[in-house]
Amino acid sequence: MHSLYRSYGAVLASLFLGLVALWLVALIALPQLNMIERAFVYESRGGAAIQSQVDIDRIYQRIYTIEYDIDALRDQAEGEVAIGVAPGAKIGEDNTAGVGIAVPSATVSSGTIEEQIAALETEAGGLKAQLVDLEVEETRLLEEKEAASGYSLRNFTTMSSLHLRIFGMTLVYSFCVTLICFVVCYPIAYTVAQTANRERAAMLMLGLLIPYAINELLRIFAWTMILANEGMLNTTLDALGLIDMAQGEPIRWLASNGAVFCVMVYAYILFMVFPIYNTIETLDRNQIEASKDLGASLIRTHLRVVLPYAKPGIAVGSIMTFMLAAGSIAVPGLVGPGLHPDWFSQVIYRNFFEAGNWNIGSAYSLALLAACTGFILVNMLVFRVGIRDIAK
Amino acid sequence: MTALAEQGQGTRRALGVDWGNIVLNAYIGFFFLYLFVPLGIMVLAAFNANDTPSVSDWRGFTLQWFTGAENQAGEVTVRGLPQDTRFLQGLWHSLLIALGVICISIPLGLSGALLLTRLESRASTLLYTLLVSPMLMPGIVLGVSTMIFWRDMFGVEAGLFTAMIAQSVFIGSYCMLMFMARLQRQDRALEEAGFDLGASSFLVFRRITLPFLGPTIATAAVIAFLQSIENYNTTFFAIGGNWTLVTEIGARMRFGLSPVVNAIGVIFVAITIVAAVSYVLLKRRRDQRILALRG
Repeated sequence: MHSLYRSYGAVLASLFLGLVALWLVALIALPQLNMIERAFVYESRGGAAIQSQVDIDRIYQRIYTIEYDIDALRDQAEGEVAIGVAPGAKIGEDNTAGVGIAVPSATVSSGTIEEQIAALETEAGGLKAQLVDLEVEETRLLEEKEAASGYSLRNFTTMSSLHLRIFGMTLVYSFCVTLICFVVCYPIAYTVAQTANRERAAMLMLGLLIPYAINELLRIFAWTMILANEGMLNTTLDALGLIDMAQGEPIRWLASNGAVFCVMVYAYILFMVFPIYNTIETLDRNQIEASKDLGASLIRTHLRVVLPYAKPGIAVGSIMTFMLAAGSIAVPGLVGPGLHPDWFSQVIYRNFFEAGNWNIGSAYSLALLAACTGFILVNMLVFRVGIRDIAK
Repeated sequence: MTALAEQGQGTRRALGVDWGNIVLNAYIGFFFLYLFVPLGIMVLAAFNANDTPSVSDWRGFTLQWFTGAENQAGEVTVRGLPQDTRFLQGLWHSLLIALGVICISIPLGLSGALLLTRLESRASTLLYTLLVSPMLMPGIVLGVSTMIFWRDMFGVEAGLFTAMIAQSVFIGSYCMLMFMARLQRQDRALEEAGFDLGASSFLVFRRITLPFLGPTIATAAVIAFLQSIENYNTTFFAIGGNWTLVTEIGARMRFGLSPVVNAIGVIFVAITIVAAVSYVLLKRRRDQRILALRG
């Protein structure tokens, strides 16, 4: 710090410090912390509480109607009493009967006015009792909603088993993509790095650089053309007589996880080639010669000399490939969209832009971030490399 | 004796490597076919007068996807690139964002690199880890967190601005690493000499440090530009209802394939090939010059 001030003076040094602080705090730390906060805040939609409120309102309305009906019936009864009908004894009798049977109000209209009133009063009584229960329930639900709005793990624990499986599968698939990329490209990286002929090395390098620089989406697009129902692969198979497209049996390549897998290997393999190439390129060829002269076999030379030397490159390549594959939205979203099981990134996307539940979306992206961080740490342990070897 | 040894080595190599070499060469051949055949198919399909991009169903050579076509009354009969306003607008958005990203990420990366090369405490590793972490994060996490943060804090809806910020966060890390690599080769004695000759710290920075970093600033700007234009994952989440060239390509692919995308692909491939070839040629010329200097 002192050295910075001495070299560049107070003004410039403060400017640099300020910019770094801005970058670190406003662009890196705060957005992540904000996302993490959202991930741990359960956003209750309060579905149950709202439902119980609606129920309570409906019961109040019903009670009001009943009371209105009773009043109307009483007015009617008084009119009839004046004419000399309906003795008082009958009312008491029917009252007890009404309590026992609890006749639904719709059918009551057939009985005498007293019977009707009694039945309605019974119903109102029942409803009022129900109301007490419901109001207790409502307070409980509202309190629960309040409580749930605090910090909790609910965004993670409510992850359905389906989403959990997608999460697991995404990580497993990404790991397989990483592994395949490594196996396929190690010989390539080694050959290009150790080619003695400058012309040839430059040509090979060019051959790797061009596809690497072409947009990810276009590389995916090229493969979708091949794998489409009427695409290159099916027409070739048709021409070879292996399938018969006229009979309407093209193979639906795009509708499989395998297609996503293949395209992913294609799209991200070069992120594995270059880091490994970069490390092997600095390996002194004499070491390989020495190993051969001492009688080591080809495999032994690679296991004992080249691979240990290439560790940092392998770590970087694996981390990049895994991270790109696990967080890929382009490949699963564009290769036969909707035809194959989801990738975790698609679940995250839907939580944000379709379900509109940002907190669960945040929780899921945090889970993805944690998985990738875990992968990086494991890599650093396994390959015994530090953070400065990884990012340089 | 030495001649004999060399001869012995020669025979062993001839015997031992022959098969290995054939297999290896075949493997490399296949690998490059695997890399280039899909791209070749994509390029070829851009010149096919077929509504769905294809090479197997050839309906004649055409440039209509690049130029569009009109009938004699001047009505558009084939929508090619010039008629596709969304693509053109997307390209404009991409350029705007890329420009912003360059303006933000280069000062950030430069400051980070200058600070880290001068920092010799344990905090340096921590700071380094934090500053490179955006590179190692999945792009969608960056996009998502930036989008939420700017809306929660400042009420800024997702759009070109948030996309630019989200990209700058990790492109800044790339720039920083490039600057650090360059600064490690810096001769501090030059700065010291500047001070000894009575220059102010500002003058030393402007006349010694900055010119030394000049080529790296240019390279970093190019890399930042390319990274920004090519980015899909982060942009897709951070851009909301707006679009760039690349997110528009993605949107088109979702709703079925269109040869206009092939036409864009051809342009991308052409630019890439020209850029890559000139890069390799330049690098080779520089290497040769260095070799010549070493004698």
